Amino acid sequence: MSNPRSNARAILEKWGIKNFRVIDKEAISEITLGASILATGGGGDPEIGLLWTYKVIDEGKEILMVDPIDVPDGIQTASTACLGAAIVLTEKPPSGEVLNLAMGRLEQYLGRPIQATIPLECGGVNSPVAYAAAGELGVPVIDVDGMNRAFPELQMTSWVTHGVHSSPTVSVDNRKNVTVIDTGDDDVLAETLARRVAMAYGGISWIATYPLTGKQVKETSILYSQSIAWAVGRAVMRARREHLDPIGELLKSLKKERNVEGFRVFSGKIVDINRDFGSETNKGFTLGSVTVDGIDTYKGQTATLDFQNEWLNLRIDGKVLCLPPDLIAILDSETGEPIRTDIMKYGYRGTIVLIPAHERMRTAKGIEMFGPRHFGYDLDYVPVEELNSDRR
Amino acid sequence: MEAGRTVRNLGVVGVGNMETKRELRVGFDVGGTFTDGVLMCGREVLAKAKSLTTPDVTGGIVEALEAVMTKSGANPAEVAMVSLGTTHTTNALIERRNLNQVGIFRLGAPATTAIPPLTGWPESLKEAIGGHELVHIIRGGSEYDGRDIVPLDKKAIEDACKSMKGKVDSVSITGVFSPIINDHEEQSAEIVRNVLGEDIPITLSHRIATISLLERENSTILNASVITVMRRAVNSLKAAVRKRGIDAPLFIVQNDGSVMSADYAIDYPIFTVASGPAASVRGSVYLSGIEDGVVVDIGGTSTDVAYIVKGFPRESSITVNIGGVKTNIRCPDLLSIALGGGTIVKHKDDDVIELGPESVGYNLVRLGKSFGGPLLTVHDTAVALGKLQQKLDVFKTDYVTHPEKINAVPKALIKNAWVAIKTTIEEVIDKMKTTPEPVPAIFIGGGALVVPREKIIGVSEVLMPDHFEVGGAVGTTIAEIGAYAEGVVDLDIEDRAEAIVEVTERAKDNAEAAGAIRNTVEVIDVEEIPFTYMPGKREKIRIRVKGQVL
Repeated sequence: MSNPRSNARAILEKWGIKNFRVIDKEAISEITLGASILATGGGGDPEIGLLWTYKVIDEGKEILMVDPIDVPDGIQTASTACLGAAIVLTEKPPSGEVLNLAMGRLEQYLGRPIQATIPLECGGVNSPVAYAAAGELGVPVIDVDGMNRAFPELQMTSWVTHGVHSSPTVSVDNRKNVTVIDTGDDDVLAETLARRVAMAYGGISWIATYPLTGKQVKETSILYSQSIAWAVGRAVMRARREHLDPIGELLKSLKKERNVEGFRVFSGKIVDINRDFGSETNKGFTLGSVTVDGIDTYKGQTATLDFQNEWLNLRIDGKVLCLPPDLIAILDSETGEPIRTDIMKYGYRGTIVLIPAHERMRTAKGIEMFGPRHFGYDLDYVPVEELNSDRR
Repeated sequence: MEAGRTVRNLGVVGVGNMETKRELRVGFDVGGTFTDGVLMCGREVLAKAKSLTTPDVTGGIVEALEAVMTKSGANPAEVAMVSLGTTHTTNALIERRNLNQVGIFRLGAPATTAIPPLTGWPESLKEAIGGHELVHIIRGGSEYDGRDIVPLDKKAIEDACKSMKGKVDSVSITGVFSPIINDHEEQSAEIVRNVLGEDIPITLSHRIATISLLERENSTILNASVITVMRRAVNSLKAAVRKRGIDAPLFIVQNDGSVMSADYAIDYPIFTVASGPAASVRGSVYLSGIEDGVVVDIGGTSTDVAYIVKGFPRESSITVNIGGVKTNIRCPDLLSIALGGGTIVKHKDDDVIELGPESVGYNLVRLGKSFGGPLLTVHDTAVALGKLQQKLDVFKTDYVTHPEKINAVPKALIKNAWVAIKTTIEEVIDKMKTTPEPVPAIFIGGGALVVPREKIIGVSEVLMPDHFEVGGAVGTTIAEIGAYAEGVVDLDIEDRAEAIVEVTERAKDNAEAAGAIRNTVEVIDVEEIPFTYMPGKREKIRIRVKGQVL
């Protein structure tokens, strides 16, 4: 195991950082809701991650979040996450020690202590898990992540597209089995191995990955990703309390926090779900498409969405309106709760919202690694703002 | 309180003529205010009655039983089945009354310890069942593919049992992935019986609910906590029935609308928490003959809408909250809206601003315009349009006593209100529908007469069966038993058809255990759910079956 750390507050003191935010239960529930909305239909069920984080907070472990700009260049950071089948997680929650173990072994391999965590993605599972980890480890969380959405594979991050790597990654399970994956700059191979290890462990693994320096975090991450998720979640929760339109409040929060325009493009009811099981290309992901019939002002129109765990693209009456890596969310019109691909059912009603991906996800390398062609579509990426320019 | 009314007295047939013994069924539906009782012969309602629901629940049932037996003049020896939809367990959990002290075992360490049992429970309920002191997380449980996480720590279970001796009345055991591999739960039960005695009630989670550890564990612990409540209820009802000269098996409606034998219900009381609404859906199906469609149950203050699939209520896919605890037990998918006969129509001049959500409730007869009161309600709208022509037996007062007040309401306002009510009902039906095609709708409940039933969008026809005011009690008498089973398969290495056959057989075993006659058991639903983020073609197969009792 790793050396006992002092605590997050002492670390920040050492760095001379006086500016930080304390993450309490209300904050984590808002961040997790926002992250689930930004998860683009994926990211899993927030329940376990939330309960875990609540427990960490109840045990008096403090969770502090810092601005990436304040973080010293030379420090060692890393990300921790759950990698594997979401349904296994709901049946087999972790021991309290998996994250400590994974981080400790990564420290051992690196030969230096990890002083802060960086969340991997926005998702119902891995967003709260990042905070639980920070609390368990006694280190701060940096206000960044690698996607500002969810993606199905480990290498689909702004970190990789900006030249840093997931290796070495440490993968552990509840029985304290440890696997070190060090594939150098081959991030796709790291993903393949990590997923095989998760299967061998019994469906899920707990990883410590992307050991980045403070400088690398600043140069390659999605900066302020946590603040964005927090603002989105807070806006939707406030809308629920005050009986405002959650979709409208969400779009306002994006404008304020990121200065981007999201698009409310459709309201409808799911009338067909086509899950593709047998495909040769199905390598551990649920593929398929859904058809949504318009209601209210969209009556007579039909939306179709393809998904691979997350929503990939949207067409309305055959016209393409959103392509990856731009974000698609289907939200319950009344509560703003996201409708995930793993729980959607025939008859669910929702409003479709499109959100431009962060600019660090839209580089040429990013489009190559997680644009439409990567997912098998013979389409060139066009930003969602251009596809929807008539809606401005 | 309404006295019972004999609907069609066929008392002469069979009475005193034991050669052609009829098969009578008695059913009760315990509601918040009234306990309804019916005496059925085949599809015929021989007698119906309403008594006030009593705090102990049993008292109201006994009174309703007395009423239907007396009204019908039936020979108690002809009663072949007694069944009820009940609120015994729900009340005990909500009021935290008479709950068992529960020894709680989770088989899952070293996994799962980040979130111990009882996390997120209300403090009052935790205390009422004995609290953290009785919680033990034991090394054991399975992986999804059947391997042990670690071997079961039998010694730890034994030691824990010794520490619980004299402190617990009931035990709950929840193992990781037990819905797929139940070995560790069964082995643990054996050890518990060895130490705490054969009589200690033990609830095993794999018999309670499906994948999702925390919700299943919650459901299992709740079940263990109300076993004594259910046992007492069943025993006192059995005694009351025997006292009335009836020698017939007792059945209880479970959440999916089917029935289970009362003895089975003692072990699985948690399956009765939605007993009442489920019975109403089944009654609607039975009385209308519609097997697929929507049930609209309109009361005084609210309307419950359920969807029926092959004669049973569709289940809710989300977690079900019982007494403040999240569970994943099977419950009907109900949508409730604030629209009932007493709902106030808020208006400005002739325009409707809002329907409710406030209702005048049982004060309709004082506050509604039809009765000389100041407020326009849904009931008054129907009266103004001449939609009501008869008084319902369950109501003491006629449907209108002040027609002049109704005539004074502007016609345009009435028309607008009627349209608003119709739209509200259409919207809630549409939300529950799962097909674009129009479906039949069954309207039941005391408010069914005062809402639009013509040209409802999305509906092929609206039916209002006879006896709709005691539909729930009728629903309890339908002698069908439902059960389910599930399994996880990898379609890369296993044959899908074979896997479905195997899961079906297990579901039939479960139906038989609940009291069904095996060769009447048939499959009603096959559901396949893929595992995401996992290579291969793994999926969960879930099969529901139903079978006859008699």
